[in-house]
Amino acid sequence: MTAFLVRRAIGAVWVVVGVAVAVFLILHLTGDPAAVMMPPEATTQQIAEFRHNQGFDRPLWVQFGSFAWAALHGDFGNSLRHGEPALGLALERVPASVELAFSALALSVVVAVPIGVLAAVRRNSLLDLAARIFALIGQSAPVYWMGIMLILLFGVQLGWFPVSGIGGIKHLVLPTVTLGLFTMAQLMRLTRASMLDVLKADFLRTARAKGVQPLRLLWHHALRNAWLPIVTVIATELVTLFSQAIITETIYAWPGIARLAVQAIVDRDYPIVEVVVILAALAFVAINLLTDVFYAALDPRIRYE
Amino acid sequence: MPYGRRALLSFAALLALSLGGSAALAPAGAADSTVTISQGVDPVTMDPLKRTITPTTNVHYNIFDTLVRQDREGKLFPWVATSWKRVTPTVWEFKLRHDVKFWNGDPLTSADVKFSVEKIKDPAEGSEQGPRVATVERIETPDSYTVRYITAKPTAMIAGYPWQVFIVDSKYWKEHGDDVGHSSGYQAEHPMGSGPYIFKSWRKDEQLVTEANANYWHGRPSVDSVIWKPIPEAAARVAALRTGETDLITNVPAQYQLQLAGGRNTRLTSARSIRVLFFAFNTLKPGPQQNKLVRQALNYAIDVPAIIQTVLGGRAYAVNTPLPPNFVGYDPKIPFYHHDLAKAKELLAKAGYPDGKGIDMLINAPIGRYNKDKEIAEAIAGQLSQTGGHFTTKIQEWTTYVNFTSSRGLTPVYELAWGNNSYDADNTLTSLFTSDARLSTYANPALDKLIVDARYETDPKKRQAVYDKSLEIIHDEAPWLFMFQYEDLYATTKRLAWEARGDEDIFCDEMKLK
Repeated sequence: MTAFLVRRAIGAVWVVVGVAVAVFLILHLTGDPAAVMMPPEATTQQIAEFRHNQGFDRPLWVQFGSFAWAALHGDFGNSLRHGEPALGLALERVPASVELAFSALALSVVVAVPIGVLAAVRRNSLLDLAARIFALIGQSAPVYWMGIMLILLFGVQLGWFPVSGIGGIKHLVLPTVTLGLFTMAQLMRLTRASMLDVLKADFLRTARAKGVQPLRLLWHHALRNAWLPIVTVIATELVTLFSQAIITETIYAWPGIARLAVQAIVDRDYPIVEVVVILAALAFVAINLLTDVFYAALDPRIRYE
Repeated sequence: MPYGRRALLSFAALLALSLGGSAALAPAGAADSTVTISQGVDPVTMDPLKRTITPTTNVHYNIFDTLVRQDREGKLFPWVATSWKRVTPTVWEFKLRHDVKFWNGDPLTSADVKFSVEKIKDPAEGSEQGPRVATVERIETPDSYTVRYITAKPTAMIAGYPWQVFIVDSKYWKEHGDDVGHSSGYQAEHPMGSGPYIFKSWRKDEQLVTEANANYWHGRPSVDSVIWKPIPEAAARVAALRTGETDLITNVPAQYQLQLAGGRNTRLTSARSIRVLFFAFNTLKPGPQQNKLVRQALNYAIDVPAIIQTVLGGRAYAVNTPLPPNFVGYDPKIPFYHHDLAKAKELLAKAGYPDGKGIDMLINAPIGRYNKDKEIAEAIAGQLSQTGGHFTTKIQEWTTYVNFTSSRGLTPVYELAWGNNSYDADNTLTSLFTSDARLSTYANPALDKLIVDARYETDPKKRQAVYDKSLEIIHDEAPWLFMFQYEDLYATTKRLAWEARGDEDIFCDEMKLK
């Protein structure tokens, strides 16, 4: 297990390095931000001076070298837009994003897993049909559209929840539902399918035959064996949640890191984009590693040698 | 009904009280004298000497002071400076008020003005405001309340923007390691101003809280507290206004105007924008657009009022030249190119392109930069195709597009909009029509000379005569498809008394609550 973890950690470092190189090249090969940042009446000479002062006129490899060296020391440079260290600006937005992502994930799991199990057990019942229709809508409705509809219904018409910003629990409701819906639908379908497979298995028939209580049969024998694909999807869904958060955070004016990234891309604020992408790469690598470890805990048959 | 509302209000107050300590501690009525403003984006920094983006400077206008202010017609009026005059052709002198104090009690003096301008001019700072004070060679301070701007060449003040410089507390900046030639970054989050509203707290992308400055030299502003709460998505901004979560929203898309104007709790306010949208011909690159007759013909082929009606819901004003009517230098005698397809075809035939044969033009346009930029370009391409020529659009993201405008690389036709908050012809004509201007794709030495002459002409009548002549040339030469001046749309809750300004600025000390 330890050897496995060390091997994976080394691999993870390479992934992050690769991502850093890729994002740097993509950003810098598509032009520099001088023209975007300077006011329109600036002369060509003033733009050239700005470019020079910011170091954008140096050869690409020199720029990358100084970027990499500083980044190794935790310095990603100052945001061009804010004039403050990019790392700090990104990190201070992480808690809001984590809060939203985890509440969306928690909501999805809490709703989707029990309904998925029930739908599988009562296959072709009215409940199963309703669950499948819900899953279809949840997976096909665009987040953008769903967000606006929820705002209009629960915010403007009914006035139950605030429509934008961060605050207490009330502020969390609409963004959580919007962000969680897709994942919820995905998990519900998967739980149902996975349970259907397990329910057909021989060991369940045996358990049933030896008189195990139906509820214990379901949760202990069936669900435990259906868990593996569900856990895998939950982990990968965190990645989906991040990409969907770009839209959710924008619609609900949620002060998270995805919204920061969108604005930074619009402004060609390199340092911020680089930091956000590298942080995201780190997060995904860590999640994957944790998932592997979690597998072993869930299923004693899995051993990493 | 009023009875029911009052009952509801007292219930809400009870609820607020029961919700715990912080709400209960707020002074009575505090909730009602707070105004929340939602722009599309958060300010990017509280250091007022760096950036030029409107949503950021809108906050700065309320926490910092400037030497002068500009009214709704673009006329300057005294603010921290009580008077100003040109003492010699290269020296502008400003006299300052004696009673202006920063929030920490430091008096605002000429040294602070000098420090602020020098900080902007310092290349190490990388300030985008540099071009605004480029004409200022140095600053002199004969005494604590006199400032002299020394320019290299005799300059009418409109040629730079010295009044747009926010004045910072030089003593406070030095105490925090922000001397000239050095920036600690401290000011980006800890501003010290002298403005009508005092900066209290800021959680980025969430909210920025300011409170009325009780000791403001111009009197305590009427609204107790102003919260800046950005909402990026237009539909969400409109929703937040309808629920009363915010009191003022900017950049209202035209499709919401009926809903908001007829809203129970909302109203619209609008102003003629300082921004004029146009399609320029790149006359520096080869192609039929180098032929004046072709350019005139295409101006006759478009139907601007129809585009304004269908694409912008009527919220724009067609222009006959690059200048809108509320600008100094505007000439009402110049006719419009009215929609006349027959005349367009006739001119094209005369130019050697009968039925538009041989005309194949690309219409470049950005997306998401100006209100309905892409839609307008598509409508123009459709109308121009009526001439028989072939017109297609190429739409690009602004960050890519703007790099091409800088290198004059967009051809043969490209869309831009120009915002000129000096309300004066000089900025527009110099930036867009003189041969060596970065954004100009038209070169005419005779016009260059007229524009320079007008800049240094001090007699307003003679100056106008020079502009009349310049605009006649521009109209006849038609280096643009002349389009329109935007109307900027804002919406507020009904309790807020505030009217939109064409220069996109928001001054909270002009606000009142009903």
